[in-house]
Amino acid sequence: MNDPYEVLGVPRTATDEEIKKAYRNLARKYHPDNYHDSPLADLAQEKMKDINAAYEQITKERSGRGDSPAGGYRQNAYGGYGGQSYSGGDSVFQQVRYAIQLGDLGRAEALLTNYSNHNAEWNFLKGVVCARRGWMDEAKRYYETACQMDPGNLEYQRALDYMENGPRQAYTPGGTTFGTELCGSNLCLPMCCLWSLCSGSVPICCYC
Amino acid sequence: MFGYVRPSIRDLPEEELDRFRAMYCGLCHTLSRRYGQAARFILNYDFTYLAILLSDGTAGAQGAGRCYTSPIKKRPFLEPTAAMELAADESVILAYWQLRDGVEDHAWASGLKYRAGARLLESAYKRAAALRPEFDQAVRRQLQLLSALEQAKDPSMDKAADSFAVLLSSAAEELTDPVRKRIMEQLLYHLGRWIYLIDGADDLKKDAESGNYNPVALRYGLTDGTWTPESRRDFATTLDHSIHQMAAAFELWDFGVWTPVLQSTFYGGLFQVGKAVLDGSFHRPSRKNIREIEETE
Repeated sequence: MNDPYEVLGVPRTATDEEIKKAYRNLARKYHPDNYHDSPLADLAQEKMKDINAAYEQITKERSGRGDSPAGGYRQNAYGGYGGQSYSGGDSVFQQVRYAIQLGDLGRAEALLTNYSNHNAEWNFLKGVVCARRGWMDEAKRYYETACQMDPGNLEYQRALDYMENGPRQAYTPGGTTFGTELCGSNLCLPMCCLWSLCSGSVPICCYC
Repeated sequence: MFGYVRPSIRDLPEEELDRFRAMYCGLCHTLSRRYGQAARFILNYDFTYLAILLSDGTAGAQGAGRCYTSPIKKRPFLEPTAAMELAADESVILAYWQLRDGVEDHAWASGLKYRAGARLLESAYKRAAALRPEFDQAVRRQLQLLSALEQAKDPSMDKAADSFAVLLSSAAEELTDPVRKRIMEQLLYHLGRWIYLIDGADDLKKDAESGNYNPVALRYGLTDGTWTPESRRDFATTLDHSIHQMAAAFELWDFGVWTPVLQSTFYGGLFQVGKAVLDGSFHRPSRKNIREIEETE
């Protein structure tokens, strides 16, 4: 296994508090919430495992006991759309969820195309496939339809809320705000031109 | 289409800006060495990012040299690497097909500058296409798709953006590490989607006047080139989703010395550009702007 200190990006001399802080920051970065629409979620999950293992090892070494670290993030949040609480329902949709979970969007899409009953769940799953492909606007529209057809369904509503409100809770280094419209005058500078790179006398200029 | 991607200069220390400048100048030298002086005119920040993303993350050797824009003072530049050569070849192919696209979109007289540019780049393009046939084919295929959507006035914003996003993601085609390739394809896909959408937003007014195809206008039913508060909010959110996907992909790979520049781009620069485009205050830097600033200072 890699050096756990290296995994957390801290020196061996770091205090417990510094280690916890580094761990929390990395755990926030690779948290499943930050990757739930990403086709790279499996890679984030691997990172998360390494980080958890590294933190656990350091905590063990330092305490001399076998406890798992306090305040650690748990793995079970991972699982994507396929694995969790879903039970019952149409077996084709279960296959679709499974294909999405495996990252086989082609198969998920084909199964949905051949399914003629375009009910709420069909629209929701269509939306999930779109989101994974990066078709965020189409995804939102399918989620809207799913919510209209089945207004009480929390899974559909959560997906729609996220698409409508944007990734406001996304990880940012240093905890800055995330969003084009949130880039106000007191948060970011007004638009600046970088410079005329090779033009000599004006390396950086603002012409806002 | 190109010239929107940039870091947030406020958040970047001077040495990181210098590194970015050295890559910009390095790509310019690479273009000139491989394709002659004329190829330098295609250079822009977006192609510089392509070179950065394809690079291995090490500091690289630096040279210093004079050029047309800096004839007296020598400027530092990164010596060409295999990644910069790949970025240069792909930039030539992209620029060439963009110009050809411009020729077809315009009447004879207004298409002159595109025709002249394409002719100037013709021999460079032939060499680049011979070196990178897969990328050339991908660009042709995707631009054909895009032009079919234009003809049909297809109202799906995602579908139109997808053609360009797939085009840009194929710039990662030659990467050999499968994990790196996956990450880079995802990152470039959303970078392409963002560029395409922001370009559509930037052209809203112009296209409303000329009647040119603009999937952003069609999606939100904007006929006079101005946003409604709801459509603007909706559009900014869809941009944010793409930026989030880029940032999430970026965090999964070690970009070495380029980490600060890329971090400031995905968590700052793209928001700033997007906001400025939505506010109608975005201007691409041009020689004229820079002269005006020099005069007023």
